[in-house]
This record gives sequence, C-alpha cells and structure tokens, in this order.
Amino acid sequence: MQLCGRGGKAVLAGWVWLALMPGLPAWALDVPSLSGPVVDVAHVLPPATVEQLSQELRAHEAKTSNQVAVLIVPSLGGEPLFDFSHRVATTWKLGRKGTDNGVLLLVALKDRKIRLEVGYGLEGVLTDARSAQIIRNEIVPRFRTGEFAAGVTAGVRAVLSTIEGTDHVPERPSPSPSGSDRLGQVLSAVIVGVVIGLVFSRTHRMLGPVVGGGVSFIAAPWLLPALIAGGVSLLLVSLLGGWGLSAGPRRGHRTSGFDETWFSTHRGGWGSGDLSGSFGGGDSFSGSGGDFGGGGASGDW
Amino acid sequence: MSMFVARMVLGSLLLTGILTSSGCGYNDLQGLDEDTKAAWSEVINQYQRRADLIPNLVNTVKGYAAHERETLESVVQARARATNVQITPELLKDEAAFRKFQEAQQGLSGALGRLLALAEQYPNLKADQGFRDLQSQLEGTENRITVARKRYIEKVAEFNKMVRYFPTNLTAKFLLHLDEKANFTVADEKAVAKPPEVKF
Repeated sequence: MQLCGRGGKAVLAGWVWLALMPGLPAWALDVPSLSGPVVDVAHVLPPATVEQLSQELRAHEAKTSNQVAVLIVPSLGGEPLFDFSHRVATTWKLGRKGTDNGVLLLVALKDRKIRLEVGYGLEGVLTDARSAQIIRNEIVPRFRTGEFAAGVTAGVRAVLSTIEGTDHVPERPSPSPSGSDRLGQVLSAVIVGVVIGLVFSRTHRMLGPVVGGGVSFIAAPWLLPALIAGGVSLLLVSLLGGWGLSAGPRRGHRTSGFDETWFSTHRGGWGSGDLSGSFGGGDSFSGSGGDFGGGGASGDW
Repeated sequence: MSMFVARMVLGSLLLTGILTSSGCGYNDLQGLDEDTKAAWSEVINQYQRRADLIPNLVNTVKGYAAHERETLESVVQARARATNVQITPELLKDEAAFRKFQEAQQGLSGALGRLLALAEQYPNLKADQGFRDLQSQLEGTENRITVARKRYIEKVAEFNKMVRYFPTNLTAKFLLHLDEKANFTVADEKAVAKPPEVKF
C-alpha cells in the first residue's frame, strides 16, 4: 500500500509538470536577430567570407526578390533540428509575403547538423531532393575536412543557381490578415456609430453620443474592438455634436452621400497589410513576410 | 417624437446590421470556419502526398530486398487502409471518424518506420540515388505534415474558443449551427512527434 501511495504521488507530480510545460521547452534558444543575410553567431566564418556572401545574397535579392539567409549557431540547445530551423525561418519571415520565396541555410556546429529550410514559393524548384543533394554533395564533403567557409559558400552558390530563374514564382494564396481586418471592422463600426449618433444628436444632446457609442459597440467584433469602437464613437459624437455638426434633414444629402462613398471605398480596403521590408542597401535588413511549410532537407557530417 | 425615435432606432439598428454584420462574432465565426477548413485541407494534402510517395519507395526497396516480403506487404496494406478512410469536411465534426483517420495514418507511419529501418541493413539500397531522393522527399513530407498539423491545431483552437465564449456561442448555436471541431489530442501528438527516422 505504501509503495502505491508513493508511486502515485510521483506519477501525479510527473503529470502536473507535463501539464504545466509550455509548448516550447523552457531551454529553447532565442531566435538570433537578422542583422544581415549571413548571421554567424558561432564566428566560424572569416569576415571576408561573410562580406562576400552578404554581397552575393543582397544582389540576388535585388534581382529576384528571393531572400536567402545563412545562420550558423554553435549548438541547437537540445531542440530538434527541424523545430529550430522552422522557428527561425518563420520568425525572420524570409521571402515576400504571399510569394514565400525565402530560403534559410542553417548550420549547427556542435550537433554537426545542416538544414536547408525552403519557403512555400520555392519548393517547386528547390525541391526536397535537390536540397538534400546540395547538402550531400556541396556542403558535407567540405565540412568533413573542416573547410566551413568553402562549404557554406559552395552551398549558397548552389542554392542561388538552383533558384536563379525564379523571379516570377507562382502565387500562393496567403491567409487572411486578421489584424488589418480587425482595424477595418473597428473603423466601419466607428463610422456607422458616429453617423447614427449625429442623427440622434438633433433630438437630444445626450442621446447622440450614447446611441452612437452603443451602435459602434454592437457593430464591432467582440470584445476589445467593440469597447474601443464604442468609446471612440461616444467621444467623436459628443465633440462633433458639440460643434453643431449634428446631422438632420437639412444636411441630409451630405450625410448620406458621405457614408455611402466612405463605405464603398474603405470597406475591404484595409486588407493587404504588406510588410515591405527587404535586405536593402547598406546595413538595413529584414524579412518581408514570407512563410515556410516544412520543405527542404537536413543532413549531418 | 417617440414614434420618430422608435423609427430611428429601428432604422439605425437595421442599417448597422446590414452594413457591418460583425456584431457578436457572426463574421468572425464564418471566417474561422473557412480557415479551419483550409487548414484541414492542407493536412489532408500532406498526408496524401506521403501516401503518393510510397509505391515508388516500395518498388525501389524491392529492387534490392525483394525477399523482405512481410515488411513490404505491411507498408502496402497500411497505405491502402490510410487512403481508404473517406476524407470529407464532415470528418471534422465526427470525433469517431476523426480518430479512425488518425489511427490509419499512425499505422502507416509505423509501417514506414519499419521499412526505413530495414533499409539500413542494405548498403547498396542506401547508396541508390533514387532511394536517397525518396528518403529526402519522405522526410520533407513528414516535416510538412508536422507544420500543417500544428497550424490546424491552432486554427481549430481559435474556432472552438469562439464557439464556446459568450456571446459568440449564441451566434454559433442558434444562427449558424456551428459546433466545436475535432482536434488532434495530446496523446496523438506524442505518437506523431516521433516520425519514422530517416537516417543516412
């Protein structure tokens, strides 16, 4: 009986610990910052190589909009290769949003692992098989003799020449940008609320803001946007009503014209949310919103 | 004056409803419903892609290890079982069917793992270019399955939350007749977290 009790407690403790564990292990590495096309956290590449490769990668991006980056880390910190690689690629968002034409070459020194992470848009040319070939034929043989600079250079050049003819990659339908939709909905709600509120301001000074706020509150998505929309409308109607802008039959034509055209042009127009970063000239460097689906290949040496 | 106000209230509410229709999550629910369907299609897509790689794989292995009939047969059968499960959007609403689908796919993962472990013992097979390409494609597909599942899980969690939260649950239940969708459970995640090892 005693044994059961103690064992039971241990099992319970184990389950509680498991349940409390976050999605990512507590020891997972932070994603290094994208300071340039070549991020050598392990300092294994000579500066000349870093400079040379950065230039080639920036030039390629300028020509084709494909974003290829290299990351060399001392170790994976216990995380599986694919998990870390995918995490870095999706955090850096290499490649253009919607086109997803990004590639990440990851090298983990202590784990002796290499991975090419390929964005959705380039999977057609830089296939899994081709990625595996590049790693196997260009990178691994050189790494085995300790020539890291040569290996990385050869690998990068092979990747670039494979994707070279792809400045027009097929568009992958991107998921709806919910942030921009939210903004559009809040704004629509506020506008409707303000217009209606101003109509009511004619009948009674207090009624306008309350009705306007209420209408916006109902019209906007639950809960935070609704509160924001309601508050903004309340404020706007009280201010505008106070300035004597309350709408009514006398100014009817202006009001109805106003909200019709406003609506038709702005209803769906907030949607694209385009992140227009780029490797750019000079020192600036950022991903452009590209996505990765798990394509590519891994290898070790 | 009260008639006027009443008419105005009614009119404005109607106007609001028509023009925005986002109150109480109507649009959000519809949007998330579509998103989960899209995420699910992606999961199915990747599982199908894996199934498609298998005939080639079996043939390549046969070229070097034809006498390993048992292992080869089990892969072929597991694949047949996995592709036989009817895949429809309704699968998401039916927990039992969803479980069956998962089990079939896990069966295939197991059989594949055994086949690839077997290939380790045949150096000629391992060196075969075609086999290596297939291995990398399989690994890629397993990774894609992982990503697709993860994104599906996130989308369904969002959708289910909206279906359960007040007041959007009212919209979901009475207006749209939407219910919670099936999701991969933690137990399954543990099983799937170990894809068939692809070693060179």
